[in-house]
Amino acid sequence: MTQDVIKVTINNKDIQVPKGARLIEVCRDSGFDIPSFCYYSDLALQASCRMCLVRIEKMPKLQTSCTITCTDGMVVTTQSEEIEKAQRAMVEFLLANHPLDCPVCDRGGECELQEMAFDWGGLEERFTEKKNYYAERYLSPMVANDPQRCILCKRCTRVCDEWMGEDAIEAGGRGANTVIGTYGGWLDCSQCGNCIEVCPTGTLLDATYRHQARPWELAQTVSTCTYCSDGCQMSLGARGGELMRVVARDRYVNGLNGEFLCIKGRFGHPFVNHEARIRTPMIRYKKGGKLIPATWDDAIRHVASKLDSIANKHGRNSIGIVGSPRLTNEALYLLKKFATDLIGTDNYAVTDSVNLTPFFANLGAPLATHRDIRYAKTIVLIGGEPEELQPLTGKQIRQAVRNGGARLIIFNSVPIRLREQASQFIHIRPGAEEAAVLALAGGATDSLVSRKMGIETAELEKVRGTINETEGDLIIMFDGSLSAAAQSALAQLSYLLRADNRRVLFHPLPLYNNSIGALDMGMTNGAIDVTQMLDAAGRGIRAVCVAGSFLPEQLRGREESLAKLDFLMVQELFETDTTSFADVVLPAASFAEIDGTFTNNDGFVQRVRQSIPPVNQSKADWMITDQLARELGVEFGFGMSASAVFNEIAMQVPGYAGLRYPLLKDESKPVQVKHDIAVQRDISNELETVRTAVEQMDESPEKHNDTPDVGHELFKIRTLTDKVAQFHLLAAGNPRPESLNVSPLYQITLSDDLRAEAVVAGD
Amino acid sequence: MSQQLTQIRPLSQPVHMPDEPATFSAAVEAEIDGHLAKYPVKRSAILPLMFIVQRERGYLDPAGVLYLANRLALRVTDIWEVATFYSMIQTRPVGKYHIQICKTLSCKILGEPLITERVCKKLGIKPGETTADGRFTVSMVECLGSCGTAPMFQINFDYHENLTPEKVDRILDSLP
Repeated sequence: MTQDVIKVTINNKDIQVPKGARLIEVCRDSGFDIPSFCYYSDLALQASCRMCLVRIEKMPKLQTSCTITCTDGMVVTTQSEEIEKAQRAMVEFLLANHPLDCPVCDRGGECELQEMAFDWGGLEERFTEKKNYYAERYLSPMVANDPQRCILCKRCTRVCDEWMGEDAIEAGGRGANTVIGTYGGWLDCSQCGNCIEVCPTGTLLDATYRHQARPWELAQTVSTCTYCSDGCQMSLGARGGELMRVVARDRYVNGLNGEFLCIKGRFGHPFVNHEARIRTPMIRYKKGGKLIPATWDDAIRHVASKLDSIANKHGRNSIGIVGSPRLTNEALYLLKKFATDLIGTDNYAVTDSVNLTPFFANLGAPLATHRDIRYAKTIVLIGGEPEELQPLTGKQIRQAVRNGGARLIIFNSVPIRLREQASQFIHIRPGAEEAAVLALAGGATDSLVSRKMGIETAELEKVRGTINETEGDLIIMFDGSLSAAAQSALAQLSYLLRADNRRVLFHPLPLYNNSIGALDMGMTNGAIDVTQMLDAAGRGIRAVCVAGSFLPEQLRGREESLAKLDFLMVQELFETDTTSFADVVLPAASFAEIDGTFTNNDGFVQRVRQSIPPVNQSKADWMITDQLARELGVEFGFGMSASAVFNEIAMQVPGYAGLRYPLLKDESKPVQVKHDIAVQRDISNELETVRTAVEQMDESPEKHNDTPDVGHELFKIRTLTDKVAQFHLLAAGNPRPESLNVSPLYQITLSDDLRAEAVVAGD
Repeated sequence: MSQQLTQIRPLSQPVHMPDEPATFSAAVEAEIDGHLAKYPVKRSAILPLMFIVQRERGYLDPAGVLYLANRLALRVTDIWEVATFYSMIQTRPVGKYHIQICKTLSCKILGEPLITERVCKKLGIKPGETTADGRFTVSMVECLGSCGTAPMFQINFDYHENLTPEKVDRILDSLP
């Protein structure tokens, strides 16, 4: 696509820009600094702060460069006495009602208003009238608010509306009395905290970090989120070995997620330094006995001797190796190597709830990046709920529709919130997602699939019409609950739907931060999966080594399995259902304490960087495997270096060929794994399998008619979120406290345990 | 410094959202439907609907706000944002007679402080308050567009112009 190029002259410098470029962006890209508060790339224009004033020839007054689209021959001046005078007047005006309380403000030191006051502020204030004053208050367990510091740039309200689609925070009142807030004063939203992130002043503050540290005391480390598969980049702020807070990356480093994070990424980190972390290796010498603290050497020696004797007695395949999709690529690679090369067992698996191997084996087109999603023209979402499970994807879809005019087609049995954005919401029966794939692949008559999905055939015709009209990217998203045959058929859809004027891309929606990495490292192609391994416990499988824990869903109905094992070793952060059966428990280090990489659902390999030293006696998972191998007589030779492990991954795993840590250094230019693109092949066998399954599909299940509450997945208490006191309040329905001026943690007692945790958390 | 910081307007007090929205008679519903039919986009009808809810319920109470949000497919915060912008929309209960005194420049210069003083003294309340019998509420509002006949105030939707303290007495005494 060729774009018209026009010429603008900025400060006597001729610049070629594409037609339709925004003046403020052009000036900044050309190295002319333009101050602004309210302008925010990719949000609706506001033009309320009036800091970005420039002089444009033939225009009568100074113009706000954020609202100006460049036209051919435009002559612009960004710096002059006149402009500086206007900007200084604006800062004086913004500071008129702003309290000078920087020393006690949490934003002090990283405040845009503070920086602007240094650059453009006057020495004295001429405004001598009474300042507006409002009391500080809490808007939710996560968001603290100090209204008098507000300069009304309304970034928060726009972010809440355009990114999150929640409209939870708005500007009430008018004129000088305008106050950012919400009806009733208590935020009932997904608590993403993006309003805090984008606030240029200390008006909206992180309530969990309030008065805990100053920004300049924190060592900032860029790392990757450990929750969902979107893999947001974030900055960990640590002080003295304690992780104090998490913020997103700078908005000018336009990486994967800009300044976006969800509640889990931003507020879900206190598990790292939680007092319930396992402190030392522990050994249970006798079944039914207690776990007794031991040294690392003793514990590793104990594990090695047990594995050795079990392998000798029952054969190598009696040992199962299990990894977690939360581990780094390095840890998973080494586990696989440990299982196949050293133990020599075929029984290795990951505790992921879905397995995308058939999808990747037949992958007919590259994975869509989040940037592709933002600029896609048609998005087909089959199942899943990105807003709750992959919030960045949810945000990108919303922006693609709202700001990019994309068309969104949703197949879902639940009327999820994203349907407000959908051009077509197809309400199908629960479990009928496969029928949607079958319909798109043309593997059965419309009447059959429509009947099974419980919809009109016209709906499918409309879908085809929308897809055929599309120019630009078509992105197919799906959650992992499809059968193997359906995944294979779906992965080949790119060949069926391709056209000259559009790309077809895929965006799988797995649940964990390194689900894709686990697959790339080959941990998913073991002989059996996790549930089969649990079922075989005590028979084919005598010993299991787990890095992480089995999911509650996997243990449900199999509670007895773990007790049947001769030997169970667990590497964990916290005591879980799995550790309660373990013979040896080894303390693993969390994502904040290790170096490594995660591979997200874009296929981006992103760095995890060590922010704090390992808590207590914990060790990185890959180092534990390495040490165990050494005890069993095999020296992997990686020393203490995660980058050495990654170098071997780059040699052994095809898609990672040529990658090195230094190439992953710049998080604003993420590197995509080169997943093999399968050639087009005949998928009639798979379609036949899917069609048979669809034909036998039950037509009785009722569709869900209620939109689930905001946060029904995000606020769920699991092992990690359990360690954040505020999550318990949210999970209990975010009750409104008596007073909004005191943290709700001090006012609401949900149970005695919660009270104890709240005291530990300190706020 | 401390005497410069004055709380000029309390923030919205905690409001407990009711579970059920307000309900209206069939005639009022028909009137609301009539307004909704005028606009291609539902939310455009927000102001006429607010006036109806205010007329029926005295002010925009939480149940009324919830009703509007449901009816216009908006969030309650959107309703709150608009409601607090306009001084004609009340988010707190007001008396039978709502006296809105213009405090902007022309009125200020031509004697608004004297008018306000007289009104408040006569009713025994401060601006922003309601008399104990629920008859009067006094509030200070921005320009009502009647600068040529300043100073002025508005009682409910009626203008009273070219005010003097004596005229204020006469007007207040003549109210039924």
